Amino acid sequence: MTENEHRIIDNCKIKEMLSQKKKMKKFLSVCASCGLCAESCFLYRNKKEPEYMPSYKAINSLGKLFKKKGNVTYTMLEEIKELAWGNCVLCGRCYCPFGIDISSMISWARTICRTQGVYERYDLNVRG
Amino acid sequence: MYEFLRGPMVCIAFLVCVLGLLYQFISLLRLTSVKEHIFYSSKAKKKNRNLLSEESLSNLSIKIKGTILGTEPFVVILTTLFHICIIITPLFLMGHNILMYESWSFSLYSFSESFTDFLTLLFLVCAAIFLLRRIFIARVRAVTGIYDLILLLITIAPFLTGYMAYHQLINYETIITIHILVGEIMLMAIGLTKLGHAVFFFFARLLIGSEYSFSGGSRAWKLKI
Repeated sequence: MTENEHRIIDNCKIKEMLSQKKKMKKFLSVCASCGLCAESCFLYRNKKEPEYMPSYKAINSLGKLFKKKGNVTYTMLEEIKELAWGNCVLCGRCYCPFGIDISSMISWARTICRTQGVYERYDLNVRG
Repeated sequence: MYEFLRGPMVCIAFLVCVLGLLYQFISLLRLTSVKEHIFYSSKAKKKNRNLLSEESLSNLSIKIKGTILGTEPFVVILTTLFHICIIITPLFLMGHNILMYESWSFSLYSFSESFTDFLTLLFLVCAAIFLLRRIFIARVRAVTGIYDLILLLITIAPFLTGYMAYHQLINYETIITIHILVGEIMLMAIGLTKLGHAVFFFFARLLIGSEYSFSGGSRAWKLKI
């Protein structure tokens, strides 16, 4: 076990932040999982891997936080970080036929991660 | 069993459907009453009123390229046919209209039986492609859960059993009872699950926060359309 796995996560804070975004929870619950948002993401168009699909990123970041009702571990937040920073640049070009604002969800997932000290260290981890 | 399904259960199913949709509708209204800041303003596009000008047509082709009509035209055609069939087939089916007339002395226009049969088959083909798409296309599979598959099967079941009943492929009385039951399950599911997108869709098209919105996408219902 690494030192990070023992880090204390403020689950109450996460729950409180999730409760501020009931609209996002509602929008996530109506996602038809149609996969039609895929081609609107330039990262997906380049990589052609499902992990880059906008709905996948929203479901597995903020969606995961809602599903777990904020009771997440540090490792889970690290996984969310990989999706929210590593697979998305928040360009806001993702297009959902239902009008779900996907980028705002990923952005909120990032904000939640930041409050727990989990964020992309561009100075340490150079991508690309 | 048959009498119960044809009688009180129909009322229960419609009630659950309507009340469920009403609840979803009201909760969405509440959640979307505050106007949000939208980054992509649609004001610029409104300046150009001449829809047939070269600039407008070129803008339109660029706009379509960025939508799902441009990126996945086959799925757009498929989903359009699927949704048209799912609405008009049961509404204008002769058998349903006869039952309605017997119960309430009121009926809608009825399509010919052969045309309804064609629409049902078309629906089943579209639904089968959707199912295969969910299983075999990696990006769709990645976001598909068991819940999505169950909902798709709930949607398909009334059409499949209706087709089987019409052609009397197995014992008619059994299959028609199953048909009524699964039809009622689907009605209730519309009110209680994400199948409620039947109503939600129109909401969302006006809420979407981008240049693709029909109304400029201010994500609020206190807006001038």
